[in-house]
Amino acid sequence: MKTNIRFTHQELVEKSKLGDRNSQFLLYEHYVDAMYNVSMRMLCSKEDAEDTVQDSFVEAFKNLGNFRYESTFGSWLKRIVINKSINHLKLKRIPLEPMEDHEYHLTEEPIENVEDLDIEKVKRGIKKLPPGYQQIIHLYLIEGYDHEEIGEVLGISQSTSKSQYHRAKKKLLEIIKEM
Amino acid sequence: MDYFEKHIRDNKALFDEHKADRAKMWSKIELELSNTEPKVVPLWKSPILRVAASVVLLLLLSFLIGITVYDSQQPGGQSNMVSQELMDIDMHYSNLVQHQVQLVKDHPDLSREDKEEFLSFMDELDEEYEVLKLEMQKNLSNERVLEAIIGNYKKRIELIENLLRQINDSKMINDDYGYTL
Repeated sequence: MKTNIRFTHQELVEKSKLGDRNSQFLLYEHYVDAMYNVSMRMLCSKEDAEDTVQDSFVEAFKNLGNFRYESTFGSWLKRIVINKSINHLKLKRIPLEPMEDHEYHLTEEPIENVEDLDIEKVKRGIKKLPPGYQQIIHLYLIEGYDHEEIGEVLGISQSTSKSQYHRAKKKLLEIIKEM
Repeated sequence: MDYFEKHIRDNKALFDEHKADRAKMWSKIELELSNTEPKVVPLWKSPILRVAASVVLLLLLSFLIGITVYDSQQPGGQSNMVSQELMDIDMHYSNLVQHQVQLVKDHPDLSREDKEEFLSFMDELDEEYEVLKLEMQKNLSNERVLEAIIGNYKKRIELIENLLRQINDSKMINDDYGYTL
């Protein structure tokens, strides 16, 4: 089954590789909203997200010949969007590395009744986190990246990614609890 | 994965709260793609292909020169062989003809008129032979010219043989007459 998932939209991808504009448009229609949301979560700016997603699609279509179905087309495209978003943040000199623990006085208290947690509260809580923590929470919890992938994207080690994520999550839970 | 993480991941679709301005973004993407169509690099601009083309051209020229030289040598060899063969034939027939002509000239039973008539035929055949010889130098591989030369020799010999036969016949008639007398 996993093998089949990787070949999702294979026909459109193959036609797009040959430069078929209609197939490229259909792929764009399938993925544009998801990619726009990925970029919006990271950049928090409509204009920046639009520019990043546009550039990502252009790069994807230009380099589609390099896509070998080692992942789904969506995953491959999302990686381009995330990399471009991270580069955009770097250009804007927005710090990606989370701040140290002592600045937030993190506690180890477990959060109760998380099943009933309001997603809207979580969204608002994430927005209150510093940019570095926001990125790692988005990448791990929402984009579904593991720590190896986060390490590659952010240019940090797996262990750093793990420790930073745990700090970010604790801080987020603390913020949510205070809401 | 704890409950918090599971809860977020189970509801991650709720985090997609934004809608892209599809038409505006696509028009920019399409414009960008149209402006940057794949670059076509002419083959002759590639340094590797230029070197390869030069090598191929060099090989082709060498091959053509080789073929020309070979061709010029091959027919030359053939011409030498043909020419040698022709010279042998020419030598053989000219000796034969000279010998027969001399026999006719020296023959005591032939009148002067008959000898002159015979020699005039032989002169005509000599002229024809000279023309054929010139033709042969122009085109050694022409079999028809070769056949004509050989035919010329045969005609001369045939002429001599006929003359000699006539002489002999007249001699025999004369002898018979002698016996009857």
